[in-house]
Amino acid sequence: MNFSLTLSASDLVLLLPELFLTVWLCVVLAVDFSFKRIVQEQLAYLTILGLMMTLACLAWFDMTGITGTLFAKMFVVDRMAIFFKVMILLATILVILLSIDYVHRFSFFRGEYYFLVAISALGMMFMTSANDLLSLFVTLEFATFGFYVLVSYLRDDMASNEAGLKFFILGVFAAGLLGYGISLVYGETGKLVFSDMTGANPTTGLVIGFLLIFAALGFKIGAVPFHSWIPDTYHGAPTPVTAFLSIAPKVAAFAILLRLFLVALGTFKPAWALLIVAASILSMTYGNIVAIAQRNIKRLLAYSGIAQVGNVLIGLAAGTKMGTDSILFYLLTYLFANLGAFAVIMAISNSLGSDEIDDYRGLNRRSPFLAFAMLIFLLSLAGVPPLAGFIGKLYIFVAAIKEGLYTLITVGLVNIVVSMYYYLIVVKKMYINEPLDSSPIKTTGPLRAVIYVGLAGTLVIGIYPQPFLDWAVSATLMFSNLLGPAASIPPPATPFGG
Amino acid sequence: MAEYTLLIILFAPFVGALALIFVSNRQVSLVRGVAAGSAFVTLVASVYLFYAYDPIKGGYQFIQRIEWSRQLGISLHLGVDGIGTPLVLASGILLFAGIFVSWHIKDRMKEFYIWILILAAATIGVFMSLDLFFLYFFYEMSVIPMYLLLGMWGSHTKKYLEMTDPDGLKLRDSVGFIFNFGANSKEYAAMKLVLFLSAFAVAALMGILLIYKFSGLNTFDILVLREKAHFSGPLATLIWLLIFFGFASIAPIWPLHSWSPVGHAAAPAATSMLHAGVLMKLGHFSIIRVAFEILPETTRELMPIAAVLCIFSIIYGGLVAYYAKDTKYVIGYSSSSHMGYVFLGMAALDYISLSGAVIYMFAHAMATGMLFAMAGWVYDQTHTRDIPSLGGLSNRMPFISAAFVIGCMASIGMPGTVNFIAEVMIIVGSWNKYPFQVVVAVLGIVLTMAYLFKMMRGLFYGSMAEKYSHSHDAVAVVDRMPLLIMIMVSVSFGIFPGHLYSVVRSGVDPLIARITRVVPVAEQPTHIPLASSPIAPVSAPHEAIAKVTPR
Repeated sequence: MNFSLTLSASDLVLLLPELFLTVWLCVVLAVDFSFKRIVQEQLAYLTILGLMMTLACLAWFDMTGITGTLFAKMFVVDRMAIFFKVMILLATILVILLSIDYVHRFSFFRGEYYFLVAISALGMMFMTSANDLLSLFVTLEFATFGFYVLVSYLRDDMASNEAGLKFFILGVFAAGLLGYGISLVYGETGKLVFSDMTGANPTTGLVIGFLLIFAALGFKIGAVPFHSWIPDTYHGAPTPVTAFLSIAPKVAAFAILLRLFLVALGTFKPAWALLIVAASILSMTYGNIVAIAQRNIKRLLAYSGIAQVGNVLIGLAAGTKMGTDSILFYLLTYLFANLGAFAVIMAISNSLGSDEIDDYRGLNRRSPFLAFAMLIFLLSLAGVPPLAGFIGKLYIFVAAIKEGLYTLITVGLVNIVVSMYYYLIVVKKMYINEPLDSSPIKTTGPLRAVIYVGLAGTLVIGIYPQPFLDWAVSATLMFSNLLGPAASIPPPATPFGG
Repeated sequence: MAEYTLLIILFAPFVGALALIFVSNRQVSLVRGVAAGSAFVTLVASVYLFYAYDPIKGGYQFIQRIEWSRQLGISLHLGVDGIGTPLVLASGILLFAGIFVSWHIKDRMKEFYIWILILAAATIGVFMSLDLFFLYFFYEMSVIPMYLLLGMWGSHTKKYLEMTDPDGLKLRDSVGFIFNFGANSKEYAAMKLVLFLSAFAVAALMGILLIYKFSGLNTFDILVLREKAHFSGPLATLIWLLIFFGFASIAPIWPLHSWSPVGHAAAPAATSMLHAGVLMKLGHFSIIRVAFEILPETTRELMPIAAVLCIFSIIYGGLVAYYAKDTKYVIGYSSSSHMGYVFLGMAALDYISLSGAVIYMFAHAMATGMLFAMAGWVYDQTHTRDIPSLGGLSNRMPFISAAFVIGCMASIGMPGTVNFIAEVMIIVGSWNKYPFQVVVAVLGIVLTMAYLFKMMRGLFYGSMAEKYSHSHDAVAVVDRMPLLIMIMVSVSFGIFPGHLYSVVRSGVDPLIARITRVVPVAEQPTHIPLASSPIAPVSAPHEAIAKVTPR
């Protein structure tokens, strides 16, 4: 293999967002070290500024259509990578806003916290561009290291330490599986780049190798049976980190799953579709049923997150261009609803110091705004029209039914009803039950901002999804020619003649 | 302006709800004003729609089509035919009346109006959707407001189901034994309603998705699917069953009815009105719009299922209503019994009987709306719905008791009310096909008479307990107006049913012509032109008479 490491200026342009963010984060760290008296809030806004400028850079990429590959195809910038990077940056900005009122709980290293959040985001940005097995391993670990620290950031809290340890041990184990899987796949095919593997023979070693890689990625997205770290880690980690963990790594891992399954393994679709179907059914059913028994809102969202991943896997099981679009779109709707819900949780936790669902009693009387926002977010997660989650679910189901995945859709539809039950239990506490203590709950500016962004995203995408659908569709154009005849571009909608 | 009528009807309540978010809860009159104003806009526009609909032209009118998603083949395609028009009108009337019925609500009034406006707008949206996606969209959207309305402003039923006792949880019905839905009947009813309706709604969604896939047209548009999609064999049966039972659960047909009476009993008056008045009709309407339009052949083969189930609906609902001791249970079970008549009218697949079924939906909306409004008034005054403990209220509330008598008469189907016309049409129209069911239906009318008179006597006549001597009559204009509106509509259409009849016939005729005439796809020589005014095949004497009726 010939690695040409001579970079021209045009190559560097492709790396611009990542390079810029790296430099900016060094500046943030330097500012934190140099000015001991700096208010941590200013540091947060400084980080957000950098992330925003990176976002602007990506917007420029998307508009001008800059795409290409670097380092012998290890690093690819295509429209799908840009879509995922935008989602990750958006999630990061919202998470940093969430953190501003939380950071005072950390006894030390308050400034580094923002750096760690943003550096994880940087790792995940690289991850969405990973196009071969080596860069997959390196970027995945890069993205995870930040989280190992972040999860156990509440040093004096046993739950946080336990969460960190659990996450670390299982994470390292997953990394081991990933490394082993990569070595097997490379040994069998002699190829590293995903798009070069399409013609590989399905030998036993190759199958085991890909299964191991899938296990490692399944750990990232928290699909059953690789979910066991999720509830405790979500419960123990600092709430903003939980919010971050619940969306960004999943988004990044789905980028890799799409590249892996649709590009590298595109020809073996009938085989892996069964695997994904099984994981999807297990995740949806397990996540939703266990969520019913939860008494803590963070654990509830952890299990609901497992179920949501099961939903997203339906789109992957469809394995078509439309399935890919639906995954991108669904993750976008999930981002707004989930981060919005975490913002409400933060607001309540900041003033009540509790995450128990019982303490949400009568929230409607204490803060109508928070209760309404939570209602919208939970219903969007449940998939109730006219909210974004409904369109996301419907899009996934339509993509799946075109491929004839009837069992999967039936399970998915039944699970909507099951999930509605536990989301409504929270709604019941908030709206129907009377508060034990009716003092009003105050929210701070940054949290409000996140809630407004979440509400706007959830409602706008739900009521007028066309631009977002268009964006998702144009982001995955690369898949339109990779798949079999069943996935060819559908005929345009038949106009009604009158 | 006229072509935007449907958009105005649909979005006025949404705009009102949105505006209410920015109004302070303390400005009581402003809150009421905004709610009543937006409901009034909807009412006026739906009255205009009803009279501007041209029954001679027939078909779908006031069509609006806004592209919504190219990838999925969805457009906001609105339009009404002779079946949707009267139901939109009924929703408009009941929404307006419901705002006034809940005029004195004190707890979180603003939010009450927001949710009731969203509920009404969603139901109206179903009645005018010509796109399967939006039909489901609005259908499912109407469920969540019901949850909050029941849960937040509903009332407990302590005595009748023994939902709670001092020691904790005791008796529940079959579903409640398995799932602990809530600590009291209100929470239980709300959760059961949502889960029940959602569970069956997703079955209907599965049917819709199957239609989408196997039509191969990449569209959800009902008008396109109606013309171009053909289903046959087991697939058609499966889709039909999913659609039928998915939507019949809200109707509610007999084995799927159990969410409905508890829901009625728990709901506040205005919600019960909308629930029984229009929400339940979403079921029949959606079956007509989806199953009758897209699967006419299968409808012809499988509609006898409804004819069988409707017997149980009529008799079972009527008997339970007779023995129930709670005003709202009586009216609730009476509603689910009366919905059996609509299913009978639909099952016969006859011009007269289906028209009767549609008119019955309209008529029942008015009659049951009145009864629920007055049951709510009596409850507000006496704080009980226990019929045996009440009595003699006609001394204290002469207006309410007079109106209640009219409401009962309408519900029974007294000549002079529009219910009479509907009932006669259903009975006459289905006699040829289902004589046994017609006999049951007539007995059901007797049963209706029995339980309504029993309730009327129990509430308003006899001796009055001392503790109710402080109760008041509806004196203020805002309290009387909703009842007067519904009485007026019921009686005036009962005396002058001409326009209503011709509007409904214009919607029913092409549908029945299609269902009864359509030949199996394989034998179909060419495409049968259906759009232009269909000629009803004269097969029975009453149809010949109907053809003479001025249209």
